[in-house]
Amino acid sequence: MNALANPDIMQPADDTEVLEAARAGDLRAFESLMRRHERLVLATALRLLGTMEDAQDASQEVFLRLYRNLGKLENSANLAGWLYRVTVNICHDLRRRRPEETAVDAAAEIEAPGADPQQAAAANERRRVLELSLRQLSGKQRAALVLRDLEGLSTEEVAAILGTSQATVRSQIFQARIKIKDFVERYFRRRV
Amino acid sequence: MNCKDWEERIALSAGGDLSAESRAEVERHLAACAACRAFAQAVQDSLALLQSAHEEPIAAGHYTALRAAVLERLARERRGRRWAWVPVLAAGLAAAAVFVAVRPAQKPEVTVAELRLPQPPVLAPPALRPVVAPVHARRPKLRPAVATPQPPPEAEPLVVKLITDDPNVVIYWIPDRKGDAQ
Repeated sequence: MNALANPDIMQPADDTEVLEAARAGDLRAFESLMRRHERLVLATALRLLGTMEDAQDASQEVFLRLYRNLGKLENSANLAGWLYRVTVNICHDLRRRRPEETAVDAAAEIEAPGADPQQAAAANERRRVLELSLRQLSGKQRAALVLRDLEGLSTEEVAAILGTSQATVRSQIFQARIKIKDFVERYFRRRV
Repeated sequence: MNCKDWEERIALSAGGDLSAESRAEVERHLAACAACRAFAQAVQDSLALLQSAHEEPIAAGHYTALRAAVLERLARERRGRRWAWVPVLAAGLAAAAVFVAVRPAQKPEVTVAELRLPQPPVLAPPALRPVVAPVHARRPKLRPAVATPQPPPEAEPLVVKLITDDPNVVIYWIPDRKGDAQ
């Protein structure tokens, strides 16, 4: 099932006007389109790839592909689903080409939470646990969990984006959640 | 059914992925099983931890860098398309120049060498016939020396004009490419 075929899928904002202007070659309209969807693309890529450097590379590719396919997008209602699908595919390709990074530079990626060092340290640790947890998963489990539990899409939407069945998505999510639980327990047990 | 058999449904229930009926079954089991309650709580806590980390806003500089990189690449592509005709034109001009430089000459010049036969021996009486036979008797089938020749471009024709003492007798010799006289 194609995510673009489902008109009800993820529709955060009406992109119709800005999409039409971008189609006509207006780069400022395209920049506006990027602003609307950059969190979706960059955050998803970051969770799927693990480093900001790789996430930046993948996100650039996603938006360049969007620009080249503006004419093929039938309407703005499909845009978010299209972006999720292309982001997942590009990240998948990138992961196959590049070995996984070992360093986790949490502090460099999240916004400074304020002057409170304890708050900053706690945020850094959460970010580190998130990254290390996701590394416990296979590529398909990771994609399913990121879309379902972190991005908050429905099982039906995730199945449409990943091009698989809802039963398969549920199976991947159940296994991923148990792996995550086991890792988090081990992580904090060692810390204590 | 032991607790291991409940893990899948508990894990799915933690994220709201069960039907109302299945969820109610899980709730009934959890009410009666402390180990599964702890398992369910651990799944929910770990998911909550990941979700809170994911919701941390990404630094604005990363978005700015992303937009700048994409727009820069698009601008570079547009510049490339705008001047794409230049190399095509340059290649065309170069091809035309090469063609003009190496094309064969369309009308090769004909070289006419003029030789004079040696004077007849002094002892010969003036009434003697010329060494060369009269034209009307032995005129070879000559080709016109300056008529639009069509030689191969690499073989320039050579016409030898033999002049005798008799002004009425002129011999033209045109060797062919194999060296045979004509």
